[in-house]
Amino acid sequence: MKAAIEFRKVWYWYEDSIPALRDVNFAVEEGDWVAIVGQNGSGKTTLAKHCNGLLKPKRGRVLIYGEDTNERRVEELARTVGYVFQNPDHQIFCPTTLEEVSFGLRNLGFSREEIEGRAWEALRAFGLEGYASKPPAILGYGLRRKVAVAAVYAMRPRIMILDEPDLGLDWGATKRLLENLNRLHEEGHTIVLITHNMKIAAGFSQKVLVLHDGEVLTYGPTRGVFKEIELLEEAALSPPQITRLSRRMIPCGMRGDSLTVEEFCEEYSRLVVRAKRASSLPR
Amino acid sequence: MIRTMDLSFDLYLERRSWLHSLDPRVKLLFVALSLSTLLLFNSLPVMACFLLAFHLILLSARIPWSRIGWIWSKMWPLTLLIFFLWPLFYPQGERVLLEFWRIRVTSAGLIQGLAMALRVNALAFAFFVLLLSTDQAKLVRGLVKLGLPFEWGLTLAIALRYLPLLYGAYTAVSEAQRARGWMVAKGSLYVRLKSYVPVLVALIITALRMMDNLSMALAARGFQPGAKRTYFRELKLGNADKVCLFALIVLFSALLTARFRCSFGA
Amino acid sequence: MDDIVVVEELHFAYPPLMSGEEPVPVLKGINLRVRRGECLAIMGPTGAGKTTLCLALNGIVPHLTGGTFEGSVTVAGMNTRNHGPGEMSRIVGIVFQNPESQLFNMTVEDEVAFGPEGLGLPRNELRERVDWALRAVGIEHLRRRSPLQLSGGQKQRVALASILAIRPQVLVLDEPTAELDPLGRDEFFAALRELRAEAETTVIMVEQDGERVAEFADRVVVLVDGKVKLEGTPKELFSQVELVQEMGLDIPQVSELAHKLNQQWGTNFTFLTEEEALCKLSQLLEG
Repeated sequence: MKAAIEFRKVWYWYEDSIPALRDVNFAVEEGDWVAIVGQNGSGKTTLAKHCNGLLKPKRGRVLIYGEDTNERRVEELARTVGYVFQNPDHQIFCPTTLEEVSFGLRNLGFSREEIEGRAWEALRAFGLEGYASKPPAILGYGLRRKVAVAAVYAMRPRIMILDEPDLGLDWGATKRLLENLNRLHEEGHTIVLITHNMKIAAGFSQKVLVLHDGEVLTYGPTRGVFKEIELLEEAALSPPQITRLSRRMIPCGMRGDSLTVEEFCEEYSRLVVRAKRASSLPR
Repeated sequence: MIRTMDLSFDLYLERRSWLHSLDPRVKLLFVALSLSTLLLFNSLPVMACFLLAFHLILLSARIPWSRIGWIWSKMWPLTLLIFFLWPLFYPQGERVLLEFWRIRVTSAGLIQGLAMALRVNALAFAFFVLLLSTDQAKLVRGLVKLGLPFEWGLTLAIALRYLPLLYGAYTAVSEAQRARGWMVAKGSLYVRLKSYVPVLVALIITALRMMDNLSMALAARGFQPGAKRTYFRELKLGNADKVCLFALIVLFSALLTARFRCSFGA
Repeated sequence: MDDIVVVEELHFAYPPLMSGEEPVPVLKGINLRVRRGECLAIMGPTGAGKTTLCLALNGIVPHLTGGTFEGSVTVAGMNTRNHGPGEMSRIVGIVFQNPESQLFNMTVEDEVAFGPEGLGLPRNELRERVDWALRAVGIEHLRRRSPLQLSGGQKQRVALASILAIRPQVLVLDEPTAELDPLGRDEFFAALRELRAEAETTVIMVEQDGERVAEFADRVVVLVDGKVKLEGTPKELFSQVELVQEMGLDIPQVSELAHKLNQQWGTNFTFLTEEEALCKLSQLLEG
């Protein structure tokens, strides 16, 4: 089974010749949900842009389903790799939301019926049917972001890359967006999410890749990565509050790797029962 | 975060030199005088002298040869063009070098061609003397001190400040659209231009939002057009400035006198 | 303790974007009072009207935006109906969300000096204010740099300094760290923490991050769909977990934990910070 995305000894530098990516090696299997975390300037966006051919490695190779990105144009790769940019306003230009969501499909050469079908499906998936005939540019920020994601989703790429999709969204809207993505993920799409919101990384992704100064500090299942505190500190990141709390309670018997509030609650409750302290809980 | 490239269109080269510390108003006067004088003279030796003088000024201001070479690399196509075209339209003179069809190329014509080409270069170098040694903020401040209304100076400064941001937005928008399968269409100029609509419209909308934010930021800073302002950066004419001013006035008056009284360099 | 900000029955609708359309009301009857020296947090889902409310505090709404404005907004005795943003900005300073489009000068120094320059202050006072503001925010070493070349966190601190240099009585922060990375956020809030420790400026912050609100705010106001839905101290607010989550707000994970434990065990925990949770929960296990 070919990996969906594979980076082999990738190096990249911009004109100022400070390397933005140093010897990056990793693979994302089909159907994975990977979070790429790191500070601004760590190379997250540079790495993501290599996945759809916007940037070609100066050294090394990037393979999408076994094909070298060097041999493909961005517009061709758009069929397989969907990229949702950080700023939805960089994409939105159509007079109606329906047209906006259909834009990518038209570029890829689908038939009229297919375009309509997929566009409406995308609008429905993100709750945007009511806005189909409105100009997306005048919608509120949260809606514009949804339109941008829907527009890429409509192209049904096997791999979806999202660059900080939670930026500027309130937590409720972020959760709804992530739940939509979860559905996609369950349907078999590969998801790569760039974020520095550790709650999202902890709560939704299976694997986490930590970038610092262009280097991959670590890459592996979420739980394991969040245990490596010194590594995270090196990358100037810190795990979510609940993980930090559970770590500090290791002396009390907690495992120290809770990723969500639910996990912590379960584990803690079991400990309370075991210690037979249930009766001394303050009511 | 958009990676901001430093395309600030700022030619300023930071150095410690007499030229850099001169008041921008003096340098602006220098440019104005050079421009008018260069247009009044016609002879080759005069142009060459001006050009040489400007080079010396730049070198004494510690501007490296590489930078001067860069200027020449941008100017040489125009220079050559003028040098070749001018003689074709200047058939005066006795010594004919070439004659075919209706065209006469004389040695006088060639010399004039060179003079005109050098004049264009000298004009450019006059500006570079100003721009290489003055940062944008000081330049705008100088203009305002000379009488440009503050709002105009602010507009100019903001425009200079936002050009790289707009360019960055253009790059970001193109990338975003390409990632959706957009390509520049092949075909006639009209077809190609029309295919830029997705990029242009998104760019314009982004720019409008930026400007909207900017106007609120200005309001939040208490900016009121026409209100009395004081200035953090003061410009005072120091001794060096006064000396240069004096020298400039004397030199250019002498040149003008030579030109009109003695027909020097006509 | 007097009220420095008084908002009464504020109704506001932006002018319609296309002629013939109805103006869409954004603020639908806001009543708000802020005490001098208080730190008030404004939370709410995207589109609730938080930014519009901030703009109404310094007169940008309605003087710059137009639209239909009813009710009154008074800050330090000045009513925004009679004073435009030019005057209001001397007492109410706003730091916006986007680092790029609120900086427009060539160097950090110039940027910080811009506000006080407009006040017509004598030159030595200009210098003093610039020095003070740069120090207060911890960016003195960046004086001569171009704002374009700074990191997001540094840019926002420059924006903060430029507003502080005007010495407003009320500081309004409209999600200043929303577009920053964790390091940038920490830097900004560290500067804010120092400021709060030093001076008694009234701070109104629009903030999505529950943990920051828990740390900084004396009081929280929740705006939903143009109205104030909830008010109270962070402790009061974050103990109503289900209600607040339904509104789409971010609450500190420890508060959520307290709620879950309460549901399971019938307890009455309320945790606002990590320390609180650590203390109580470990105490329990150790007996």
